[in-house]
Amino acid sequence: MIKLSDVDIAFHIQENGFVSLKDFALNLGKHSFLKKKYILKDIDLEIYEGECVGLLGKNGSGKSTLLRTLSGIIIPTKGKIDIRGSVAPLLGLGVGLEKELNGIENIKLLCALMGMTKKEIKDLMPGIIEFSELGDAVNWQVKRYSTGMTSRLAFSIAIMKNPDILLIDEVLSVGDIGFQRKCQRKVEEIMSNGATVIFVSHAFEEVQRMCNRAVLINEGSIQLDGTVDEVGKHYHSLFD
Amino acid sequence: MSLTSITNKGFTNAVVSLAVKTLKVRYKNSLIGIFWSMLNPLLFLVILYIVFSQFAKGSDASLNYPLYALSGLIFWNFISASILQVLTSFIDNGDILKSVNLDPIAFPFASMLAAIFNLFLSFIPFLAILYFLDYQLSWSILAVIPYVLITSVFVTGLGMLLGTLNVYFRDIQLLWTTLMPAFFYFTPIAYPPSLIPEKFQWLIKINPFYFFIDAVHQIFHDGEFPSMENSMVMIGLAVGCYLLGYFVFMRLRKGFISNI
Repeated sequence: MIKLSDVDIAFHIQENGFVSLKDFALNLGKHSFLKKKYILKDIDLEIYEGECVGLLGKNGSGKSTLLRTLSGIIIPTKGKIDIRGSVAPLLGLGVGLEKELNGIENIKLLCALMGMTKKEIKDLMPGIIEFSELGDAVNWQVKRYSTGMTSRLAFSIAIMKNPDILLIDEVLSVGDIGFQRKCQRKVEEIMSNGATVIFVSHAFEEVQRMCNRAVLINEGSIQLDGTVDEVGKHYHSLFD
Repeated sequence: MSLTSITNKGFTNAVVSLAVKTLKVRYKNSLIGIFWSMLNPLLFLVILYIVFSQFAKGSDASLNYPLYALSGLIFWNFISASILQVLTSFIDNGDILKSVNLDPIAFPFASMLAAIFNLFLSFIPFLAILYFLDYQLSWSILAVIPYVLITSVFVTGLGMLLGTLNVYFRDIQLLWTTLMPAFFYFTPIAYPPSLIPEKFQWLIKINPFYFFIDAVHQIFHDGEFPSMENSMVMIGLAVGCYLLGYFVFMRLRKGFISNI
């Protein structure tokens, strides 16, 4: 279960450049040299176990920031977040991949960055290699991979740790059609095990197919929360 | 958050994995690998020997100049390179910082760890060369281990302080790369401190790097354990710098995502 009550997220943005280094030194810790900019304001949201929620909204409306907050990367400026269960964020696919290293080394590295122990990684390794369908290519340096192969590797790593809560930021359309279907099946499998999924996508059909609830975010606040069709209508009207 | 994650197995594995990655990538495409980190001080040693050895010998006749300068150079390279790596670690790993839930303090730790690995790997060829420069192996070499630990705490603190500020003011990085060569001459690395006129001696002692290099000279050139006084100053500097760096990092980390 996920519960956000009265959550604000503000970024501290440094605007004045080096000139203000003196001000900065004088005001250390008070943040007065940083300008506060609200990205999300007054967010109240409750998501229950097993729900699949689509987040809709224009570019820059705060969807990714919300996912980052749920995954613990951003600490909210105000408000309370209550999350029960393990969270797996699929945010930037392929972030952290090191092109000079081979597939196996990259699996170890990325899993470690996600906080897994050596033993957990060892247990997941065969599953990741199999799901990626890379075969012998797991022993190649990643710089020799095609774009599709790189995405398959990255997705397989991200998806293998069956989480309670899965956060997906526009990463389902990787690889060829065969692999895309496989990814969707995997997400559906995770969902059928009772996991909660929060899904950001600009492909409305995808949201329609997978989600049973949608939330529209506009200019940093929740504008509408309801069925996918209802919210979708409103979402499309934003662009008219 | 940062303190609890240090005891966390997953966090430790992330730090070690990042450090191993750095080393693997650095030497993956080079033939002589680790020997590169030896080549730079050796090249410098030749030049410095030609230019400075007469001066140095003049002020201290018992000085084994090549041994003195080379040991200083190797550890100066370690200190200056690792400060820069820790300093840029937040920015270099910006993408990871934005999309993986990993305490950002992992990045300075990993950079420091990679630098320590690198130093110890270069130790084998280093000791062989020192042998040819008449280095007398003594128990004092054991002091290298606590020395590297204390120095690393100092470097991590200083690097974290500068690195955190660098997220907001990229000028810090440029300022530091400009200052480092100046510190190379300001610190008695390749010349004995006695070469400095009496009236400027106090200037040397306000330079924190002086103490860290002096300890190296004591260990390798004099074959002695670093003096009690020097050790206390190093420990004080290390603890002070680390606390300051950690404090500034904790205060300013929440702005990292929007400023990287």
